[in-house]
Formats: sequence, C-alpha cells, structure tokens
Amino acid sequence: MFKKTFKNICLLAFLLTASHSIAAEFKANGIVDVRLSSNDSNKSYLSGGYGKFSSNSSATLAIPQLAGEFKVLWDNGLSANLVVNSYVENDQSDLGMTEAYLKYKSIPSSSGYRWENRSGIFYPKISLENEAFGWASINTLNSSTLNTWVGEETKLLGTQAKITRLGRQNGNDFDLSLSASIFANNDPSGALLSWHGWTMSNRQTIWQKSRPFPRMPASKAGGMLQAQAKRSNAFLEIDNRLGYQLQFDWHQHKKGKFNIGYYDNRAKPYIVKNGQYGWGTKFVYAGAHWRFNKELQLTTQILNGSTLMQSPDQQDVVNNDYQSAFVSLTKRRKKHSYTIRLEEFSVTDNDSTAGDNNTEYGKAGTFNYTYRYSKPWFLSFEYNWIKSNRPSRAYQNQATDLTEQQYQLAARYFF
Amino acid sequence: MKAGLSRLSLLLLLVLQSSLSNALTVTVLDNKGKALSDIVVYAEPLDQQAISKTDKKLVISQAKKSFTPYISVAQKGNKLAFSNKDDITHHIYSANAKRKFAFLIRPGENIEQPSLETTNEIVMGCNVHDWMSGYLLVVDTPYFDKTASNGSSTLNIAGKGRYKIIAWHPQLNEKNNRIEQQINITDTQQVTLKLNKTMHKIPEQKSEDGFDFLSDY
Repeated sequence: MFKKTFKNICLLAFLLTASHSIAAEFKANGIVDVRLSSNDSNKSYLSGGYGKFSSNSSATLAIPQLAGEFKVLWDNGLSANLVVNSYVENDQSDLGMTEAYLKYKSIPSSSGYRWENRSGIFYPKISLENEAFGWASINTLNSSTLNTWVGEETKLLGTQAKITRLGRQNGNDFDLSLSASIFANNDPSGALLSWHGWTMSNRQTIWQKSRPFPRMPASKAGGMLQAQAKRSNAFLEIDNRLGYQLQFDWHQHKKGKFNIGYYDNRAKPYIVKNGQYGWGTKFVYAGAHWRFNKELQLTTQILNGSTLMQSPDQQDVVNNDYQSAFVSLTKRRKKHSYTIRLEEFSVTDNDSTAGDNNTEYGKAGTFNYTYRYSKPWFLSFEYNWIKSNRPSRAYQNQATDLTEQQYQLAARYFF
Repeated sequence: MKAGLSRLSLLLLLVLQSSLSNALTVTVLDNKGKALSDIVVYAEPLDQQAISKTDKKLVISQAKKSFTPYISVAQKGNKLAFSNKDDITHHIYSANAKRKFAFLIRPGENIEQPSLETTNEIVMGCNVHDWMSGYLLVVDTPYFDKTASNGSSTLNIAGKGRYKIIAWHPQLNEKNNRIEQQINITDTQQVTLKLNKTMHKIPEQKSEDGFDFLSDY
C-alpha cells in the first residue's frame, strides 16, 4: 500500500514536471564532504559494533557525505523534492534516497496565515543542527547524539499539515507554527538505539536500508531475541497502524527560534514480521536556537522518550527509557567559527530480559574550528570525546566504562 | 512664418506654464522634530483641478534578498515591473485583495506586471525569504515623491487651489499610516508635517543566519 502511495507521488511529480503549462524551476544543491579521521574506538556501530563513531579505529580517508537535493518549484507554491545521500567510508559505503516528498506552500493570506503540506518521505523537523543541504550539520562535522539518532531511526512516510502565522502582517516580530503529521513505516524505530546506544556521526540511514547491531546473548538460540533478524530496518510498517507527530514552533525575528514536539509511532510492540518487531516508540523533544549577537549563538535540544518491544505473548522483552540533551555555543568571526558542544545521554533498561542489558549513561564533548576558505568551501578541524558506561559492552569483552576520542579534518563544499 | 509663430507661442506657453507651476516643499519631521527621509509625500487636489496622467514604469528590484527600494510610489495607470538582481530565485507575492499576485522570479529575470489600475496600498513579500518585505503605494495624482535625507521633497504642482498634502509610510504610528494637512496653493510655499507619535521600527530585510546553504523552501 505504501509502496503504491510512493509510486503515485513520483508519478504525480513526473506529470507536473512534464507539464509546460505552469512555469517550473529546477534546482540542484548539495554537499561534498571529504574527511581524514582517526579515533581510538572499537568496531563502529555502523559495522555492528559498539564504537560510537562512524569509522572504525585507525586513520581513515573517507567521503562521509556526498548529497544532492533536487527540487522542482512551481509558481503555484508546489514543489517536488528529492534528497539523495551517499557515503564512501570503510566497509559501510552506501547510496540512496533519504527524503522524497511533495510540498505545497500557500501564499500567506492578508492576515498573515500560511498553509503548508508535505507528503512523502521526510524527516520530522526536530533537529536544529542539520539545516544545511542534504541534512548536513552546519556548525559541526558530527551531529549531536540526539540528532544522530534522529537521522538513523526516524523518517516519516506520510503527510504533514502546517499552519504558520506570520508576524510581519500582524505587527509582531515573531512567527508561530503548528504542524501535525500522520505517518507509517517507522515501526522498528528504537531498536538500534536500544542495542547500540547513543552514537555520534553525520551518517543518516538511507530509506529502507537496514543496519546491523551488536549481538547479545539473548539473540542466541533459545534466547528471548532469537526471532529478531540480524539487521534492523527502521522504515517498515509492521502493524498497519499509523503514527503521529505534533510540533509547535516559535520564531523570534532576528533573535532565534524554539520548538517543542511529540512523536508516537503507535506501533504494536508484540507483532513480528520477518524478524522485525514493532517497537512502541514515543518521545517528547524541545529545542532552542538563540543569537546573542551577530557573532555568538547558542543551540540546545533535549529528547526524552520510551520504547517497548514484546514477545508475541506480550511479555516485555525490551522496555527502555532514553534521553539525550546538548548545549552548543558557536562564535563566528569573519571567516572563522568556533563551536563547543556538551552532551549528556542515557538509556534506562526497565525489563528483566536476560542477556540484553541496554543500560547506558554517558557524556560527550565536541570542539569544532571551521575556516571558511571561500563562499562554498569550509575547512574544519573537529575533536569529539565520549565517555560512557555501557554494561552490554562486556558481551564483547570490551570495557564497560569507556572513553572514545576522534579527530577529524574535513573539507566541505556546498553547491 | 505662421508655423514659426505658433511654435514660438507654444514654447512661450510651456515656459509660462512651468513658471506658473508652484514648487511646494514638503518636509516631514518625527515627533521630536527630526527630519525623516524616505517617507512618501503626495498632494491630492480638492477643487477638481485637472491632473495630468503619466506613463511611467516603476521597477521594483530584488537585491541582496531584499525589496529595493523598500517603499515605492506610483501614479494610477503607471506600469509595474520586477527585476531580480540576486543569484537566487524569489517567490514574490502580494496578498492584497485588490491586487493579488504571486510568481517565481529567477536570477536576472525581469517580469512585467499589468498596469496599476486602482489606488492601492500593496504589501509585498517573498514566500522563500519571509524577512523580505516591500510596499507600493498607488496614488491618484502625479504629485508624489519620497523625502530626501533632509526630510524634504519638492512637488511641482500645476494648478492653484486647495490640496490635501499627505505623508505616508507603513511604519508611521498614525491613523492609516499617514498624516495629512490641507493647504491652499497660491504661490511657491512650504508645508511641514510633524508626526504625533514615534514611528514604528522599520523591519530589517536581512537573512538571519550568515549561512548560505540552508535547505529550506
């Protein structure tokens, strides 16, 4: 059903592009990110390990992001959007679509109200970091642990209605927006977060691509998780029940913005199809971005939620609460920008499943220096530090308490 | 010879008429007496004095992601065009009931619009860049201008008699964003319009983030 919907959306977009009766404009933008990175971590979570960075230890030269955003815009406010991401990095190279949607944006009414509709596959607008082309993070190379997870396990296949009240037409210096989405195909969301914990990279999961996770004793024959497939695909519809997401945005002109929202995939947690379970995942989130002056800006976000996965006889197998929060400060001065970001994250394991301890607590720090060589070229140095306690690392004979560090040099080109 | 005479008399008439036109200096001051620039000033005849029609074309540019100029003024019947000087596309619109329009304007593109047929106060925006805003006032008189940096403007008014002198700006904190005064034009004269209240802040048409590669439409 959802595949059909998607096909119909593509067909509609094609027909609209093909019709010459309405003036259309085609736009292609993107990013090329080339990095030299080195870390002292274990096997990366992308390869099914517990390492919190995207590359395995040792120095790596990689293209951790090559992304293109393609849009067709029409005079009537309709646009068709496709975002393609690719990665060339150790054993986890990938290529595919991360977002594809039609968007309608009305012309504001004389009283300043504007309607928007987005239909297709798209991110919930949670992140205040990943606002550049291809969902790249603006001020850092690696996203925060919070937004790394958003990029890994959340995407909505559905439709979103948004109403904005523009302040300009009302004599206010702020805009207010309310949006509501209903979506499908995000039922296994929460599995990877539970099994490898919070991670820190710029890697987004390509639509319909699965990821491996560390094997734990409970996944062996006879264990509670023996029916679970070896890889998790977050973008499946398991129970044919729609989820929803609500968000409120406040945008203070010239000063900053604030968002608060709620996500619930309404997955039935005891249904399993081809080794993929529904995970009842819900969370609240809030964020703020504030410009103190032209040079100094602060970004902060918090996300707090729960996920539940049960056996077919409705016994809790994984029942976790989780939270991640960060505060970052960026100072920009002419061609130089400096960012410091501090984070704290946790997963609380509330179930008693043997051989599957998902408990985690950690702190992270990031320092980024970026030199804007020319308008499109950004040269960056970034240091990431994560100190965490994760008992499940003992399943793979790794230290429960671990400090991981990463150094990166990057050249990012936006077009 | 006859033709020469009539030509001469025409020339004389023109010279006479121009010398007959009355230079009216309008000065706009804020409530503290400070000169205000870029305020629209115009004169509307009150005694059915004949006014001429002009065939001007007003061009409103989009430059550095802003409406340039922020405030425009034109006479009813004038032509209107938009010119995008930026290297990005804008989505210009007006939600005004009497004059609704919306179109994409590509880098370097010029778009002609239908003539301005009614007096109007047109508020323009860009649906891609919400901070952009521009205003166009369409008046029913050829006597209009914007005040210079000294707060003054000179209107060359052809006929004598009573006129309403109006100062308008979207951020004037006055009734209908304007202040007005009736005068009787007999000869060259001056009029000063002073605001009653402090003007509202003019919104800055500027992108908030210095970052050029934001993914948003």
